[in-house]
Amino acid sequence: MTAETIIQSLASGLLMGLLYGLIAVGLALIFGLMDVVNFAHGEFLMIAMYATFFLFAFFAIDPLLAAPLVAAALFVFGAVVYLLVVRFAVRAKANAGMVQIFSTFGLAIVMRGLAQFFFTPDYRSVTHSWLGGKTISIGGIFLPVPQLFGALVSIAAFGALYFFINRTDFGRALEATREDAGAVALVGIDKNRVFALGWGLGAALVGLAGAIMAMFFYIYPDVGASFALVAYVTVALGGFGSVFGAFAGGIIVGLVEATTALMLPPSLKSVGIYAVYLLVVFVRPRGLFGSI
Amino acid sequence: MTISRRNVLLGATASAALLPMAARAQTSDVVIGVIYPLSGASAQIGVDAQKSFETAAEIINKKYDFDLPLARGEGLPGLGGAKVRLVFADHQADPQKGRAEAERLITQEKVCAIIGTYQSAVAVTVSQICERYQIPFMSADNSSPSLHRRGLKFYFRPAPHDEMFSAAMFDFFDAMKKKGTKIETLALFHEDTIFGTDSGNAQLKLANERGYKVVADIKYRANSPSLSAEVQQIKAASADVLMPSSYTTDGILLVKTMAELGYKPNAIVAQDAGFSEKALYDAVGDKLEAVISRGSFSLDLAAKRPMVGTINAMFKEKSGKDLNDFSSRQFMALIVMSEAINRAKSVDGDKIREALVATDIPGAQTIMPWKRVKFDDMGQNNDADPVLLQYVGGKFVTIFPPQAAVAEAVWPMK
Repeated sequence: MTAETIIQSLASGLLMGLLYGLIAVGLALIFGLMDVVNFAHGEFLMIAMYATFFLFAFFAIDPLLAAPLVAAALFVFGAVVYLLVVRFAVRAKANAGMVQIFSTFGLAIVMRGLAQFFFTPDYRSVTHSWLGGKTISIGGIFLPVPQLFGALVSIAAFGALYFFINRTDFGRALEATREDAGAVALVGIDKNRVFALGWGLGAALVGLAGAIMAMFFYIYPDVGASFALVAYVTVALGGFGSVFGAFAGGIIVGLVEATTALMLPPSLKSVGIYAVYLLVVFVRPRGLFGSI
Repeated sequence: MTISRRNVLLGATASAALLPMAARAQTSDVVIGVIYPLSGASAQIGVDAQKSFETAAEIINKKYDFDLPLARGEGLPGLGGAKVRLVFADHQADPQKGRAEAERLITQEKVCAIIGTYQSAVAVTVSQICERYQIPFMSADNSSPSLHRRGLKFYFRPAPHDEMFSAAMFDFFDAMKKKGTKIETLALFHEDTIFGTDSGNAQLKLANERGYKVVADIKYRANSPSLSAEVQQIKAASADVLMPSSYTTDGILLVKTMAELGYKPNAIVAQDAGFSEKALYDAVGDKLEAVISRGSFSLDLAAKRPMVGTINAMFKEKSGKDLNDFSSRQFMALIVMSEAINRAKSVDGDKIREALVATDIPGAQTIMPWKRVKFDDMGQNNDADPVLLQYVGGKFVTIFPPQAAVAEAVWPMK
């Protein structure tokens, strides 16, 4: 194993990890806000990737330009999902947790089924894009441009999110609602509105990730599944509800995955991630940066 | 008991209602179960397969002038012209769902035979269920060599398996070496379910037997979100030939990641699967000029056998795609199965099995480059000759074996 191999692995792992973080942060945000795990998170990603693909296929809009449009569309989609599905699921008096799990899980299956029906199960790809297929080589280390761009967007998105949550009124409302939804109603904050906006924001972030992913990943109705699993472990590792935890969790998952593949047969690379997760559960069950 | 007018009337209506049922029962349909992934990660295969089986059923049930068993008549003459009816089931690429669906097809839908399954891992469980109920199972497109070696009496495979396919690849390497091409080192790259594992093992064994050095043997997790670590290892190995055994999703990601990491292999000889799929070439075809894949079908056969072109057109009308390595094998499986049921003159599992054992269809009466269809005592057709195809200028041409080749191999890749 040469130094070059190790550096290349770490670089690829870091780029992928930042993207994992961006995919996962919406999940962490929604969980932190209202203690609901969105099991349709992978399907949100799938919808975003299809949206990017169709904008490219029908209107020749490059994924780079499509990204803000897709994020906006997903914002609306996320808010609508809250208002039409989740709002009713959280009202359940008995077995509230189960009802939430099954309603978002059911939503995932319905979305997958509809995608297969309307978009067919064919594998799609954005064949030409401004960044797609380009790669930068620095001293024998290859950095694919779409992933590099994705990593930068991820860092920027986390920065903006940090500012947004800590410095704006809406961010404070978000935090307050999360601490005590009953009390905020007393000071005139509409809980439903805050939750809907939270879902919209979470979905918009995964929408951004989807638009970037579409530049280098294949698209089909089940594409969300493998990423959703990574997103769940990212959130659990980083700490449920912690936005910064998702960022750190993503980077850790990416790096651990890459180094495991260096040392063990690559088919076992996810073993490393879960081993690290079990270790974290052992010493810090709420996750590295979990506050709950 | 007195018989009132009402009773007579009731009885008459009842028998009138039952009569057509009895009449229908005599020439009732021959029901064949077809079990494929119709949802989930490989749904595309199942949905295309459905169209292929429907094309075959149409040819059997209606009159066509093809030199293909059962094409020239309507239905199965051995069963009074009974029509073939297909019942599709979805196994979602899950062996356990496959087991449950096979059981449902046999006990609820009363199918007399089952054809499947794309994923070899699912064929394992489905064929076990068929064996238990003594219903013939035919692997249309499963290529794991271990499948027919499990001592099952009701298992049949008209198409080649991966050892035959891999042997063809190494025959090709030997032939290229004789011509002076440098082929010494190989990199194996295979996924971790039964398909990739069996294929990798077969290739490793052949490489050792024939004196090729395997410089990388990478087993990766199917449907991985990223393959950069894996690609880096095959890049570092820098073999003369890269030999992937990958389904479509991983195939696309593999080719993209290779380009991203600046790896341009000297030659790729693929174990079919993803590398026979249009979706893969739509996505990354520009990076795959002169890739070689094994196959059991090639459209250029249409030049010698015009019905191949006509049947392809029929399939294309339904699916919007050309017949490929999978849809052609699926098509043939239904023809071969129905031909046996016709000779069995029965829908009884044992009788169909006996007829399958006696099957002997000449290669010219298929749409494949095979010598003939005849099963050995394990249910494998050893006369199904594989071919190697090369992707040149946007389509596949046959380059090996010499008797089927229409062009010389381009080597190395551009």
